[in-house]
Formats: sequence, structure tokens, C-alpha cells
Amino acid sequence: MDAIKFILNGGEVAYEGAATDRLLDVLRDCFGCKSVKCGCKEGECGACSVLIDGRLINSCCVAMGAVEGASVLTLEGYRETERFAALSKAFSELSAVQCGFCIPGMVLAAESVLAKNPHPSEAEIREGLSGNLCRCTGYNAIVNAVNNAAKEANGLW
Amino acid sequence: MVNGFVPKTLQEALELRATRDLVPYAGGTDLMVENRENVSYLFLGKLPELRQITVDGEYVRIGAAVTFTEALASDLVPPLMKEAVSRIAAPAIRNAGTFGGNLGNGSAKADSVLIEFVADAKLRLVSVRGERLVDVDKFYLGRKKLDLASDELIAEVLLPKRGLENYYYEKVGGRNALAISRVSFAGVFAEQDGKITNIAAAFGAVADTVLRWKEVEQMLIGKTLAEARALKADYLKAYEAHMTLTRGRVSAEYRKAVCMNLLGEFLAKFGI
Repeated sequence: MDAIKFILNGGEVAYEGAATDRLLDVLRDCFGCKSVKCGCKEGECGACSVLIDGRLINSCCVAMGAVEGASVLTLEGYRETERFAALSKAFSELSAVQCGFCIPGMVLAAESVLAKNPHPSEAEIREGLSGNLCRCTGYNAIVNAVNNAAKEANGLW
Repeated sequence: MVNGFVPKTLQEALELRATRDLVPYAGGTDLMVENRENVSYLFLGKLPELRQITVDGEYVRIGAAVTFTEALASDLVPPLMKEAVSRIAAPAIRNAGTFGGNLGNGSAKADSVLIEFVADAKLRLVSVRGERLVDVDKFYLGRKKLDLASDELIAEVLLPKRGLENYYYEKVGGRNALAISRVSFAGVFAEQDGKITNIAAAFGAVADTVLRWKEVEQMLIGKTLAEARALKADYLKAYEAHMTLTRGRVSAEYRKAVCMNLLGEFLAKFGI
């Protein structure tokens, strides 16, 4: 049987397991991407968000067969970028991180918003982050951080 | 690949579907929550034949593997459908969830399916044996029971191009984002020369399938607004009599009260 081949954080990888296995589990258990968090396993919390071919997707709702040939980006790859540095700085400055569990998903959701719309309104940011739950109730600081990152981005997005 | 097939063409997919026991997989957002044991998936999400939105003289044709995000970005999809789809879950789910999956999952809570019911949409089903068109309300035989043979796949939704301009839509959920419908309602209204030509009303998430009673709608077809207002009490009574709702996350009584309120708002919006 052929392995499932895909791009993970810029490098080609192969997965020998079943096509029905969950991308979330495979990323964490086989490829060591521990930034991808399991919050609910039913697409309701966004903690396992990754970018697949540039689209924000809940990795708990993806079977491995669906990523054959696709490019998957987790925070482990994204944190090497200048865009991540801008978001990280803004999140730090505004104390947008409390327990941190939701933050990898939040950061990738923010990237997804800014990639489509470098100058989003507050409402557009909130819509873009609406699938990512924060149980520390830190939404305002997170939204403000994304807003600041966008304002200070200097053409990064 | 173990436990899965990724066909390159629709023909290849249909041949696999006809010869093996495979679960059709489009976006995965319902299937992966269900997490069935010991199944193999037929991955359809990338099939070009299922990924297009086109129009012909009568219909907007939405491919079964078109995602909700793609429909929202399309100029071809009617505003009523866009409004319903924009309320589904959140961006990451809309990026993956598809029209075919929403249908195939067989739930009466499916937000795009409610619109298909009120719009008298048709579905194009395909198999190695050929293809057939089925009315969406005939496609649903009961809760999770579909008129879909074991070798068939949903290929397209055919949504009428005209007649959906005047509508009332409401989704009642527990919150704005990531909300599953507790009650959803869509009404479509049309009149010509002062007479009502269409007054379709569909109720979602309140029974085993989306509900619509065309015989009650008939009470007001061909009537003027003044005549419809005079018939309103009888018309509402007829709906109340038909509405045997099931209990779900909320009580049947609550569902019925909300359905009747939303129906009332639909009528009021169009002067009845």
C-alpha cells in the first residue's frame, strides 16, 4: 500500500497509517506537532486549527486521506515567519495570552484573516476568530492584538 | 492508502462506489465527529466534476463538493442561500463543509438543506447506471434515511434561479458562532398582479426531516393580500394542527412556539 504523502510545514512527509485516521492525532503523535491542541474533537473549539493549502481547517475534522498531496501548516512551521513575529509581539504587548491553550489556533485564525484582508475591521477580526474558543475569556485582548499586528504590519500581509 | 480511496475522476469514484463498501467523504466535518469504526472512505473533496458552481436557464447548480466558503464568495449563489450558509458554524468549518455533505449527513438541522426545501430544489444523483433528478423533499425518507442507492453519489444541487428574491430567514441557536440550529425557518414569498403566487415555508431542526406543508401553503395561493389577511387565523390553525414536533436539545413545545412566531414574522414582513 502506498503511504499518504503531503507537505508538512514546508517539508515532504509520508504517513503509513490508515486514511481514516484523524489529522489532529497524526500531527501530534507521529509528527510531534504539539502546538495542535485537542479541545473537543468535534469542530467546536478551534484549538486544533491548522492551515491546509492556506485555508483554516479544524484538524480534528480531517481524515488523513483528505490531505494526500496537500500542504499543511501548523504553528511549528508558521513560527519561523515574520508574520508570526508580528503577531507574537502584539499578543505579548497586550497580554493576549492567558493559559495559552487556544493560542496556536487563534494565531493561525488571525493569519487566515489577515492573509485575506490585511486591514480588517474589528467585526471582521471577530468573525475570523469566531470558531476559536478561549475559556480564559480573553477575547478582547486577542482581538486588539490582531488589530495592532495588522496596523504595525508594514506590508507583511 | 489503507482504508481509503482518492479517485481522480467522478467516473473512477462511481466505479469504486459500485464495487466496494465505502463511505462518501466530502468535507469530513460531520463524518469525523461521528467517527465510525471499521469503515473506508471514498474521498470526493477534490473531484473537479463536483467542485463547480454553474448556471443554466432555470437553475443555479452547486456541485456536491463545493464548500460553504466558496458558495459565499460566488456571485451565482442566491442571497437566501448565502444568508443561511453564512450562519453555519465558523470559518474553519465553512472552509471544509460542503453542500453534498450537508445533504448526505441526513440531518434536519442542515442549514443549507432548509433552503433547498423552501426553494423546491432538485438533486442530481449519479451512479455507474446513469443519473436521476430527485426533489429534495423526496430525497429525505426519515431521520438519517435517504433515497440514495448504495452505488449512488450526490453530484449537484439544482437551486431555482428565480423566485427566491423575497424571503424571510431566521436561525435560532444558542449563540452566534458555532451554533447548531435549535429551530430554523425559511419563507419565500412572491406575488403577481396583486395575487400571491408563492408562499413557501420550511421549518428546520424540529423533526426527523425539514418540514414543509404545501397543502397549507395552497390556502393562500391565488389570494390577494387582503384575502390572505382574512384567512390568516385559519391558515395559522392549519399549521398548528400539522406541527407534530419532536423533542431534541430543546422541548417540542418550545420548538412549536418558536416555529409559529417565526411564521408570524414571515407573514408580517409581506403584509399579511
